[in-house]
Amino acid sequence: MLKNDCMHQFLLQQGYSKELQSFAHVIEFALKRNNTIQLNSFNESSCSSIRIYYILEGKFEWIVNDQHHILYPGDLVLIQPGHKFGGQKGVLDIGKLCWIYIEVNQSLPDERIMFGKWSCLPKIEILAIGKILRLCNTPVLSRLKDAGRIFIELQNEILNQQIGYTTRTNQLIDELFILIARKLTLQNNTHRDFPTSFMKLETTLRQNLSHNWTVEEMAALVGLGTTTFTEKVKSYSGFSPLNYLITIRIAEAIKLLKRNDLSVTDIALDTGFYSSQHFSTTFKKLTGYTPSDFRKKNISNE
Amino acid sequence: MISEKKIFQMSKINAIKKDCVITIELGTNAVRVFAFDLHGTLVGSARGSYPTFHPEPDCSEQDPEQLFITMLYVLKNFLNETVHAQKYKVVTICFSAAMHSVLAIDKNGVPIGNAITWADNRGKQEATTLKNSVAGKTIYNATGTPIHPMSPLIKITWMKNKDQDRFKKTWKFVSIKSYIIQQLTGDYVLDYSLASATGLFNIHTLKWDADALAHAGVTADRLPELVSVFNAAGKLRREYQSSLGLSANTKIITGSSDGCMATLGAGVWGEGKATITIEDSGAMRVVGKEILKDAQQRFFNYVLTEDYYVSGGPTNNGGVIFEWFAKQFGDFKYAYDIENCMEELINDASKVAAGSEGLLFLPYLLGERAPIWDANARGVYFGLNINHQQKHFLRATIEGILYEMYSIGKTLEEHRGIKSLSVNGSFATIPFCSQLIADIFNKPVSVIKNKSSVGLGTFLLSAVEMGIYKSLDDAAKSVAFAETFKPNRQNNAIYKKYAALFERLSTKFSAEFEEIATLQQKNT
Repeated sequence: MLKNDCMHQFLLQQGYSKELQSFAHVIEFALKRNNTIQLNSFNESSCSSIRIYYILEGKFEWIVNDQHHILYPGDLVLIQPGHKFGGQKGVLDIGKLCWIYIEVNQSLPDERIMFGKWSCLPKIEILAIGKILRLCNTPVLSRLKDAGRIFIELQNEILNQQIGYTTRTNQLIDELFILIARKLTLQNNTHRDFPTSFMKLETTLRQNLSHNWTVEEMAALVGLGTTTFTEKVKSYSGFSPLNYLITIRIAEAIKLLKRNDLSVTDIALDTGFYSSQHFSTTFKKLTGYTPSDFRKKNISNE
Repeated sequence: MISEKKIFQMSKINAIKKDCVITIELGTNAVRVFAFDLHGTLVGSARGSYPTFHPEPDCSEQDPEQLFITMLYVLKNFLNETVHAQKYKVVTICFSAAMHSVLAIDKNGVPIGNAITWADNRGKQEATTLKNSVAGKTIYNATGTPIHPMSPLIKITWMKNKDQDRFKKTWKFVSIKSYIIQQLTGDYVLDYSLASATGLFNIHTLKWDADALAHAGVTADRLPELVSVFNAAGKLRREYQSSLGLSANTKIITGSSDGCMATLGAGVWGEGKATITIEDSGAMRVVGKEILKDAQQRFFNYVLTEDYYVSGGPTNNGGVIFEWFAKQFGDFKYAYDIENCMEELINDASKVAAGSEGLLFLPYLLGERAPIWDANARGVYFGLNINHQQKHFLRATIEGILYEMYSIGKTLEEHRGIKSLSVNGSFATIPFCSQLIADIFNKPVSVIKNKSSVGLGTFLLSAVEMGIYKSLDDAAKSVAFAETFKPNRQNNAIYKKYAALFERLSTKFSAEFEEIATLQQKNT
């Protein structure tokens, strides 16, 4: 806590503060001690960057994405790009807090979150972290002390600019995202109960069937390493993760084929196959029917 | 070094194909496929799980297409990697399945919504109404299935009342097994055995029961065709012959239910024997040529063949309760996962004296079926004093699950003498639990060698159809037992007292159970 007291208030903004010149992805970085309550000082707003707030002192009542949350020291709040966020009644409560806004690229149509070149993480890990951030249903991570340490170190690096500070700053931002992703998956999955975690994952897979899932992404959602994850899925379901995914894809495709209002190509893409060719081959190998023959068989007696 | 000549000879031997039987079990959570050679030796097995959806309380559904694809995928890989690879020729495929499922299909054979599983309780109201009526008693006596939301009779009645649109659109109401077999062969069939668990089938005449059908508001043409468990009329469709690499002559036997097959596979046949199965849920069963007539409607009487009935009582609260305990109170600091943690708990439980020093547990966390048939029943720890520690709760939990089984056993013994028991299922075959069952029942308990009694039972059924055994009696005699647990008289004396108290407590609270269940419902 002594360290916190040494921290002075500051506000760095991209375009205005020269400290952020080497960090185009950092839109805002600040520490604030709020001593007075002012009306309309903290109205709801949204923006295109990821906003991360960390509470140092006091108690805050905020509305994040239309949900009311009460925050205490040590809590971290993660606001997704485009989500609305502000204080209750537009007021910022008394207390001390710090925040950082990071610009990320969101590619349509599946809204994948990508980091810029500044990140040292391999692409596959960024995609997995992005997936976790996007699917997170609670923006508040409580008692995340490590985030406080990262904020202090970030402040030291950016304000003091000692040798190697660009690398260290970006490493710290990566570290912050890794920390958040890990905490999110821990919060959503108790390791005591793999079947429940697996059931949640299965629901997510069904809701995003057209997404080109990787084992890393699936493992990250359950909060496990890929090797352990694959082993656990295998022993629980009898299938490797990707084979399990294929069973869901084909089962869903069968339902759509029987409905007869979508083309085979659309069905292939909707259920996550690369192409109608890939779909046909996989389908025929398993069932002996091509998708169109299967469709004919199932609606011919109409 | 192996000479070239020898290699030639070996390949020649390999080229002679050995016959084998495949059994397919469409279980509650997973499909299990086994291959046996014609002597009943296990060639190999494979498994693939599928999810159960609970979109709202009391609702329990499965995706029929996912079940079919999972079955196909597991079967195909298993055939390629194990059966074809070892040069076996599949002569017969025989099915078993979980009881009580209902799937509505339209006139094109396309499912309308998901399949409803045995665990679905949405028909609670329909069940209570029928059970308390005169018609209910007549229907129970004719069909042998207790009037309960699990039964397809109640499920279809529920659909008629609460999901009228689906009810009207439905061309046929089939079981999951009927649907899977229809996908493979084109025929909608249902064996007597599974039919006798629908509450719609007259177990005396082996036909659909007119009263039950009238109550559900359906006619026989809206149900599958009834066949014997030995039925082998259907042929595998050409497309599946080629994708699975099976011949057109492969016999597809309709088979029976998982419960009946577990009983046959446990070798429990004839006088004085009973079998206890405990997985997540459990049941105690006897086999006989007569049904059990119970004025209080506590037992099921399922038809196995024209000559045999499998009778008994089911429980909701088996291994699933122990798993609940492990999740809440287990020590996960060193345990790698839940299985590991449960092993540790069993170790700890064995260090507490029989009777848990006076702590008694009623395991009715999921409501209970036999023998109290009280959906509102709830869990109770009874007799807690200041000296009790966590380990007493642990042992009391396991003992409570088994006292419940004992109370089913006692009601069965009002009708049949039982001298020895055979146990199967993942919970009952934990050696500590098998010993406890022996002590509580004061009867010798044997465990079968083969890990899956359902798979083995299904093989034995096929073997009788193929003429390998003369009868089911002969087939059942072939089952090998690995271990026998002998009752400990001293412990039995302790358990007898607690079991009697357990039984009294189970019925004593029925009004309070109802009240707390209502309160709990309001809170959710």
